[in-house]
Parts: sequence; structure tokens; C-alpha cells
Amino acid sequence: MMRIAMDEELNTLEEALQVEGRLVLEAIRLARRTLADSDRELAEKLIAFDEQVDLLYMQVEHGIETLLARQTPVAGDLRLVLAMLHINLHLERMADYCVTIAKLVSLSSELRSDDDLTAKFDEMAERASDMLEVALKALRERDQEAAESLVEMDGFINRHNRKVVERVMDLGVDPEIREWGLRMVLVSRCLERIGDHVVDVGERTAYLVSGEFREFTDASE
Amino acid sequence: MADPVFELKDVSVRYGGELAVSGVTFDVQARQVTALIGPSGCGKSTLLRCLNRMNDLIPSASVEGSIRYHGHGLYDPDVDPVEVRKRIGMVFQKPNPFPKSIYDNIAFGPRVLGNKQDLDETVERALRRAALWDEVKDRLKTSALSLSGGQQQRLCIARALAIEPDVILMDEPASALDPISTARIEDLMVELKEHYAIVVVTHNMQQAARVSDMTAFFTVEVDDESRRIGKLIEFDETDRIFTRPSDERTEAYVTGRFG
Repeated sequence: MMRIAMDEELNTLEEALQVEGRLVLEAIRLARRTLADSDRELAEKLIAFDEQVDLLYMQVEHGIETLLARQTPVAGDLRLVLAMLHINLHLERMADYCVTIAKLVSLSSELRSDDDLTAKFDEMAERASDMLEVALKALRERDQEAAESLVEMDGFINRHNRKVVERVMDLGVDPEIREWGLRMVLVSRCLERIGDHVVDVGERTAYLVSGEFREFTDASE
Repeated sequence: MADPVFELKDVSVRYGGELAVSGVTFDVQARQVTALIGPSGCGKSTLLRCLNRMNDLIPSASVEGSIRYHGHGLYDPDVDPVEVRKRIGMVFQKPNPFPKSIYDNIAFGPRVLGNKQDLDETVERALRRAALWDEVKDRLKTSALSLSGGQQQRLCIARALAIEPDVILMDEPASALDPISTARIEDLMVELKEHYAIVVVTHNMQQAARVSDMTAFFTVEVDDESRRIGKLIEFDETDRIFTRPSDERTEAYVTGRFG
């Protein structure tokens, strides 16, 4: 076996990416609790927590830059590097959406809320963290089938997101609950985007395994 | 795709009866660079030498299978190997200029072939195509040995071009050169493929990745009697070879995990 230095660098980067993935998973769980309890303190914690994700994001990005410059990976190595480059960005984006959720909760924690919607968000956030767990495992195990299963898992979040909008329309004329509802439309959108980014992680995993990049779903549909 | 320049079908080469490379099949297209890569002893240089019948010069060498050049059997009995080498030029690993002036190096082939008309023009055209003219136009009468290694290699390319071939075979043309000279040779290969088919043997995988359109990966297989035989493992577009090769032996070699 040769290319020991490159193998070590690839392993180190992939481990860092998995650690980053666990941190994002933690961020999604924090977001879920923040939403459930409308907890401003927890929201502050979540916003601060994002720095850890950013730090790893930068570290992985820099590691990939160096590896590309020095090791000139090709074939399977190249596909792994490209997949990691994309997945790194998707993870960082997911964490950013968690921060947005935290900010929206902070802005609306004093407002009248709706239990039905809060329950929906709980289910959506739970599904998002389940999806990320599947995605990280599929990446680690080079499991294309598991990666492709994310589309179906994401359908649940998309359907909920559509229902949220309908529900907000029905919240009534009280200005306070309407303001809360508007902010919650954005929360819903954040959860929906997190789901999409997890699906993208799956697409990159499938590319890594098969060598053919394709989008699992057509965005125009 | 247009008619290929070379069609190799089940080509094997023996030295003194022993198989050196076995069962090779692929086509070489005009206006493309075709790279032959693989570890030492995989038969890539042997195969390259079959393409202009250089192996004829080794008495024990024999070629089996079919190599067609523009549809004609390259090894048919009525084919004159000298005529073959006129159409199919070759550049070697180490620059090998004659100990003559720059001008006489380029004029050598045309003179031997009796093309003495417009010799100045022929020399200039060949040197321009080899991207050497501007550097040597004021000292055409000085010795070719006064040139740098990189210039000497471009002189050898110009010398091959002067007899107006349509194929240029290159056997590790840049492996004895520094990175700047290597880059110039690689640029030149990309320019020259507009007019010629180029087949290049290289140990430098990144060079194959940079300059070639098609890549043939060879490896050495050891048979039951411990004989080492070269085999073509994969022939495909260079893009594909370096992003998603089909054979795991190709993957192992191009990612540097061979052996």
C-alpha cells in the first residue's frame, strides 16, 4: 500500500466531517427543544454553539484545499474529496438554519402561540435529525441505498411544511398570533431547507459510491 | 467518429518467443492525444514501437495480431518499414539531436528523402510548429548541442515534423526535462494534435491526465510459470480514467496505490 500520507489526510478529513455532522445533529436537537419550550436562553446557547460548527467547517475546507494542492487526488480519492467539499458546505448551511430558528424563537417567545403548529415543528425537527443520522451513517458506510432513502424521509417534512402555511392562514385576526404565525412560517421554511440539505448529502454520497452524480429529485417538480 | 489512424486488434509481441505484451485491442484517432500508461514492464513502450515498426530492428521480436494504419495492414509483406517511419515520426525520452547544426538536424530527413526544394521553408515551418523558431532563428548554423535539454527535445520534435508525418509517437518525451520545459512540451502536444495523431508513453500520470484525450492503462500479469506479461486493462476517455475508472486495477494505479 502506498500513498500513506494521502490516506491519512483523507481519513482525518472524513473523521472531522463526521464530527461536524454530529455537532449539526446536536444543533438540530437544540433547535427542536428551543422550539418546543420557546426557550430564549436555549436559543442563545444554540447561536453560540454554531461557532463550533463553523470552526470545523473552516478546518475541513482548509484541509481539502491543502490536499488538492499537494496530493492531486484522482478517481475514487477525487470523488471522496469533492463529496466532502460539498457535504461540508451542506452541514454548515444546516447549522445556519438552526441559528435562524433560534433567532426567530427569540423574537417570538413572548407572543401567543399555537400548540398544533408547535407539535408539527417538533415532528419536523425530529425527522430532520433522524435524516441526518441516516445520511452520516450512509456516508460512513458508503451505502448508496440508505443515501437514496433520504428522499422519501424528506417527503414528510415537505408535506408538513405545506400544512404549516395553511394552518397559519387559519390562525385568526389577533395581531399577536399573526406575528407569531409569520415568524413560524420562516421556521418551517428553515426546517424544510435542512431536510433538502440532508438529501443533498445523500446525493453526494451516491456520487462517491457510483461515480455518477444525479439529483434524487427534480427541483422543478 | 472518423476512421481511426490505427486499429489494433489482439496484438501480441514476443521477444525470442516469450510473450512481452498480449492481446491488445484499441483504436487511435486523428487529432487526439492517446496516452499509454502503466508500471515498468507492462509493455507500453514495446507496443508504441510496434506502431512504426521499430521492433523490426530487434531480430528476436515478433508481432502477432493485426495493426492497421489508415485501413492498411502495417505488417503486410508489401509494406516498406522505411516508408512507415516517414509517415509515423518518433520522439524519444532523451533528446537525441545529431551533432550537426540546428538547420542540418531539421533538414536531415527531407534531404535523405530527396526533398531538397524549399528546404529553408521546410525547416522554418517545422521549427515554428515545434514552438522553437523564435528562440533559434538567429542561430540556425550553430550546433544543436548548444541548446538546452528542453530546446533539444523540441528540436527533435521539429525534426520528426520536417518529414511531414501524420502520427507522432512519443516515448516519455518530457521525463528528462525540468518542469518548465515539460510544460512547454505538453503545450506543444496539445497544439500539435490539431494536425497529427499523437501517441505518448508516459510514467507521469498527471501528464497523461493533462494532455491526453484517451488513455490506455496497461499492467503486468505474472502467469503460472512466473513469466511477466503486459496486458491492456482499460482503454477509455481520459476524463473517465481519472474520475471513475471501470477496473479496480486502473483505480489502484492512477490513485498511486499500485503494488
